[in-house]
Amino acid sequence: MDDDDLVARVAAGDDTALRELFGRHAPWLAVRLRAVLPAADVEDVLQETFLAAWRGARGYRPQGACGGWLWGIARRQAALLLRRRGPADQAVTALPADLPAGQQGAPDPAETALARADLEVAVAALGPAGSPEREVWRLMYEQDRPVAEVAEMLGVPPGTVKSRAHRARRLLRAALRAVEGGTN
Amino acid sequence: MNGPPPDVDLGRVWISVAAQVWHRRPSRLERVATRLLRSPGLARALLTTPSLLLPWLIASVVVLAAGAAATLSSGQPVTALLAPAVAAAAIAYSYGPGIDPAWELSCSMAVSDRMVLLARALAVFAVNAVLGLAASAVSAVSAAAAVPASGAAAAVTFGWLIPMTAVCAFALAVATVTRSASAGAAAGVAAWLITVLSGRVASGRFGTAATDPVLFLPYLAVGAGCAAIALYASRIPGGTRP
Amino acid sequence: MNVDITGLTRRFGRHQAVAGVDLQAGPGVFGLLGPNGAGKTTLLRMMATVIPPSAGRLRLLDRDPGAYGPRREVRRRLGYLPQNLGYYPGFTVAEFVEYFALLKEMPAARVPAAVATAIERVDLGDRARAKLRTLSGGMLRRVGVAQAIVNEPELLLLDEPTAGLDPEQRVRFRALLRELAQQATVVVSTHLVEDVGAACSQVALMDQGRIVFQGTPAELMARGTEQGTGDAPLERGYTAVLAAARS
Repeated sequence: MDDDDLVARVAAGDDTALRELFGRHAPWLAVRLRAVLPAADVEDVLQETFLAAWRGARGYRPQGACGGWLWGIARRQAALLLRRRGPADQAVTALPADLPAGQQGAPDPAETALARADLEVAVAALGPAGSPEREVWRLMYEQDRPVAEVAEMLGVPPGTVKSRAHRARRLLRAALRAVEGGTN
Repeated sequence: MNGPPPDVDLGRVWISVAAQVWHRRPSRLERVATRLLRSPGLARALLTTPSLLLPWLIASVVVLAAGAAATLSSGQPVTALLAPAVAAAAIAYSYGPGIDPAWELSCSMAVSDRMVLLARALAVFAVNAVLGLAASAVSAVSAAAAVPASGAAAAVTFGWLIPMTAVCAFALAVATVTRSASAGAAAGVAAWLITVLSGRVASGRFGTAATDPVLFLPYLAVGAGCAAIALYASRIPGGTRP
Repeated sequence: MNVDITGLTRRFGRHQAVAGVDLQAGPGVFGLLGPNGAGKTTLLRMMATVIPPSAGRLRLLDRDPGAYGPRREVRRRLGYLPQNLGYYPGFTVAEFVEYFALLKEMPAARVPAAVATAIERVDLGDRARAKLRTLSGGMLRRVGVAQAIVNEPELLLLDEPTAGLDPEQRVRFRALLRELAQQATVVVSTHLVEDVGAACSQVALMDQGRIVFQGTPAELMARGTEQGTGDAPLERGYTAVLAAARS
């Protein structure tokens, strides 16, 4: 039984399908959330996520993106929780670099924290630490250095730096799309 | 990806999800009954009475038969006075060791099985009274349409079902307030005796009280009064809980 | 001591079903063995406050269940699975367990989570909203166990709980018993001697209304060295003790 069928059954009121869905998806959702939240909050957010899934399953469009749908709900619930707590309680640091999509004005710290979790997963897709794309990403985007400086630090021509940056952006976009789509 | 983080208890999370998904919010009627009876267990027992089908059928059949004997016989005092005993015995048996599959278990419950029987008696009479009212309305309509129909439905409804519903409500109210099923049952018996005997005095015939539709309103008033008493009593902060 | 019984007797007419039983039990699993008609069920029914004793002293959870108030307090902390528990066919598993949770006067706010916990503990999580008439005999027995444990009882009385369960389910059930026995007194009346050996810390053997052996399963096994018949050591001990008691 694939995920889309399960969600359809949940929408029809089948609680055993919800149980199966929980068994499949709660573990990786817990890992993702644990990167930004303490354990007790992870439990609360997961509870709210699956209750929201139970109530809102009818709104799901079956496109094989069940994981992304669940992660979207989890992100919203986590953001709600963090916002309720207030800024004093947010033990999260701001993102070191802008997201590719860009944010208007002051980014919502809750959203930022969760975006950071997504980003870390995606950056790992660029390759192991020390690989060319990873290094370029680190120097150009995380540390915000100009192309000339990066070329000098890495000992390669600026053209090479630009093409590696281009490849890194491509890989990152694909990885972020995959992350949004819920693949582990 | 490996398993979940070790400090996140997914079992506990599932329990809290399942608790809300599996729980059925009680109906408005059940919430009202819970407040009146001061016991969610007793309210649930009361409202699930008709859903236990075999006991329900047996109890209803005997109750209706006893009612027919009480009201349609020609003023025999013994029948009118004994009919409730027969009805009570039938209800106790069908929802008791005879037929209730979980009777043994019910006897080990904190909510006393006698209170449950009292509540079930009220349910049996109340639902049958409603059905009787519907049947009487139908026969009244057919009488108006000049179709021959016996007034038996009306006689049994107004002469037996409705008064007995009032008596059971009164008994349950007394039991709730005094926290004793026996006190409630005694109050119910007393109420029925008074009803029958006052009917005798009023019209010189046993069993009429009941058949007289003029007394229908007082019965309703008694029932409403019982509910009011119980509601008021349930507002008083409890003293020592028995 | 959760159970403190001295000289307990119960008569039905002229027949003495229980004839002077002494028993003390604290937390842990307590096994009750014996042939049919030995009085195990009657003893269990008295401990469940379903029938009063004819004579003797019965104290449960430090209370005297003879009086209405303490009896109600005991019943709130009690779990009971009778030998022949019927079911309401139209109820679902969750409704059945919830019904008895309410009758045990559990605080209404705690009931949904307690019901969910009990259902998952007996491995019926995928049948929570199934009607009871769709379940097999073994599953119905597990529903019975679920209603018994829903209020986290301090005294849990189980009469033939593993009837209809396959061996794998019995293993899981014994694990559940050991978990519950950490705080509660669990009294299990059973025919299955292996259940007793594996799960119980104390065993009593009843015959004709009396307790003819009380001790650990190891002690029961020791009694069966030569005289007893049977394939397993516990069985040999069982038959040896019975033979000695009847001679």
